[in-house]
Amino acid sequence: MLAAALERIVGVSHVLTRPPALLVYRSDGLPGHRALPSLAVFPGTRDEVIRVMRVLAETGTPFVARGAGTGLSGGALADGVVLLGLHRLKGILALDLDARTATVEPGVVNATLSRAVAPHGLHYAPDPSSQSACTIGGNIAENAGGPHCLKYGVTLDHVVRATVVLPDGEVMTLDRGEGTGYDLLGAFVGSEGCFGVVLDVTVRLTPIPEAVITLLADFTAVRAAADATSRIIAAGILPAALELMDQATIEAVESSVYAAGYPRDAAAVLLAEVDGAVAGLEEDAAAIERLCREAGARAVRVARDASERARLWQGRKKAFGAMGRVAPHLVVQDAVVPRTRLADLLEEIQAIGARHQIRVCNVFHAGDGNLHPNIPYDAEDPEASARVAQAMSEIMHRCIAVGGTITGEHGVGLDKLDYMPSLFSGETLDAMCTLRDVFDPARRANPGKVVPVRSCREWLVAPAARPTAPTPARLEARP
Amino acid sequence: MMATAETPRPAPHHAPASAEALAALVRTAGHEGRRLRIHGAGGWLDAGHPVDATDVVTTMAMTGITAYTPADLTLSCGAGTTLAELDAATRAQGQWCPLLPWGDDAGTVGATAATATAGPFAARLGQPSALVLGLECVDGTGRVIQAGGRVVKNVAGFDLTRLMIGAWGTVGIITQLHLRLRARPPVDRTFVLSAAAAATAEVTTFARGPSAPLALLAMDRDATWPSTLGVRPTPMDPSMRRWLVRVGGNAPFVSAAVDALARLGRLEEMDGATAWPLVRRHAAPRATPHQWRWDPLSLRLRDRFDPQRVLNPGLLGTV
Repeated sequence: MLAAALERIVGVSHVLTRPPALLVYRSDGLPGHRALPSLAVFPGTRDEVIRVMRVLAETGTPFVARGAGTGLSGGALADGVVLLGLHRLKGILALDLDARTATVEPGVVNATLSRAVAPHGLHYAPDPSSQSACTIGGNIAENAGGPHCLKYGVTLDHVVRATVVLPDGEVMTLDRGEGTGYDLLGAFVGSEGCFGVVLDVTVRLTPIPEAVITLLADFTAVRAAADATSRIIAAGILPAALELMDQATIEAVESSVYAAGYPRDAAAVLLAEVDGAVAGLEEDAAAIERLCREAGARAVRVARDASERARLWQGRKKAFGAMGRVAPHLVVQDAVVPRTRLADLLEEIQAIGARHQIRVCNVFHAGDGNLHPNIPYDAEDPEASARVAQAMSEIMHRCIAVGGTITGEHGVGLDKLDYMPSLFSGETLDAMCTLRDVFDPARRANPGKVVPVRSCREWLVAPAARPTAPTPARLEARP
Repeated sequence: MMATAETPRPAPHHAPASAEALAALVRTAGHEGRRLRIHGAGGWLDAGHPVDATDVVTTMAMTGITAYTPADLTLSCGAGTTLAELDAATRAQGQWCPLLPWGDDAGTVGATAATATAGPFAARLGQPSALVLGLECVDGTGRVIQAGGRVVKNVAGFDLTRLMIGAWGTVGIITQLHLRLRARPPVDRTFVLSAAAAATAEVTTFARGPSAPLALLAMDRDATWPSTLGVRPTPMDPSMRRWLVRVGGNAPFVSAAVDALARLGRLEEMDGATAWPLVRRHAAPRATPHQWRWDPLSLRLRDRFDPQRVLNPGLLGTV
């Protein structure tokens, strides 16, 4: 029996089989989606992970890997299959200060890593809003972003090497290719747990900047704040972060314990930050201030010290938590549009929300064009849930229509599956299935996520009967 | 089918003008057992291993900039677009795509991505894989694949873009690219730095610090590229070393960085616009034949995307 075999590896207390104990794992950060795993197993060492994976392979058992469960796309839901929790693997295995890298286990919490290397003047740059809880392993699975990815790049830009165990139990070290191989690590990062499980990962560490200037610009119209964003980007300034919060978000934050001192009567605020060498930084900050005023900012405030900066950022990073006051559940949505289309899209999102009688709170990475329209609602109310789903679908299709994408950093998971055929051609989705097959020919890792199964032509045929070389005739015969 | 020994004809050349035309060509090739050697401008014809091909395919007919919104800092172009065209179009807007690979600007954007050829600025401004937001390609089974997208952040679906970059056309043939651009630094200066060899560690520390230059190239004693700039690689004094350094940013940043460099050694300003194209052409690291890693995963990748070995067979070894 599977549970007994797993208990022999990890110990009785690290295997859960009874539904009441499994309840904790029936959802991730996406409300409205729940699924109970058949069993949950929590290995505590690298060796245990490998042995668990081999038992799952030998028994042909499908599984879902999970870090802290903070994901926002339903990607960590295990619907009747095994949930493999990796949060016990918390080791920071090596620090190479000369190369500025750290090798860590997948369960290390994002912010813990930055704290651990801070005494050396370094930090781990990708900073998702959930960084005080989310794990590096989960960040790898999602190719996580964060406010400071505007300047520093997303997770993939900070990953050097990873040792992974493939779904068939084989252990491999992946890197970026570097002229002697395919970029298998580039394919693995962001594969949402469908390609294997990380055992350890070597990430790049970034020097803590010599100087930081944080500004808060206050606008009486959302369009003006979006316009300021476009002007800053078009002027060639590369801020460390450029975040927009609208009135609904400001109101939620200012009414909460995370109150940051944002002007409550503003239609929108822009939180801009520049960092780097001392020389030239004030000029960049002054240029941002000038561009904001030219776009119509009522006031621009510069954080006087570290504590004021921390307060301004706390409001931004805890905005999702602050919305907990508004309604029992919150959909934190994610989409990207070209930066010059931000103002138009924000207006369209408001119109879509009004049409469906839902409140949309926008708090997002304006500098990247990465929207986060958030909808507080009651997921227990089927009628409200249906309206939210309809509004989300309309928003996603508008983002696709202007040349954007359905997710910039949260992943497809379960939530965005239905939009994939609107974004990608049948042949492209089929190629994604092929790539998944390269890593997981038995198709047991995170089944049913990311790419709709019906898009995978060869998946409609039993694996053993799959031809290795499709002929032109087959290529045209779409199932 | 294949040309026989008694009919030595030159390999047929194809220059498809669209991904669809290329896909038809690839499907036919797979059907008839033909094998394609793929290239852009042809600068990478000999990459160390002979390609066992029956036909030659160039991407040069898939050319031109198809979309460019300067305020978005993104641009789309055909794979056969030359680096020179890309540079001219973006320069006019005060921008660049800092691929700026080793070699010259007659090379194509597609080949630069397919070979993941970086240049002297990659450490600061991004490797090719960080500058390509998405691409269109045709795989070995003739599928037209739209990988990634045109926006600067995108995690929708599995990452086929990264897979194609640096795969030397053995997984798919790139036909279109969507690129990330950056603003050109408002102040951009290039110097020859002559400093005591003993100060090497300080120079390296400076290059990794907050005032890091866009590029810092050490002139080795036996390097020949400095002479193309009219510079002797080493000063007469053997205790001295030389570097070529490019500093870019706003005026106060560059001025502070130049002051810091001047404290390390003697600076002689160069004309960067002339110097860097010469450096990119002449200072490229020696290309070595690939020792491609054919681990089981990589083999499976090649098997699934090009089961008939239509694309560049032999280029990465016998596979």
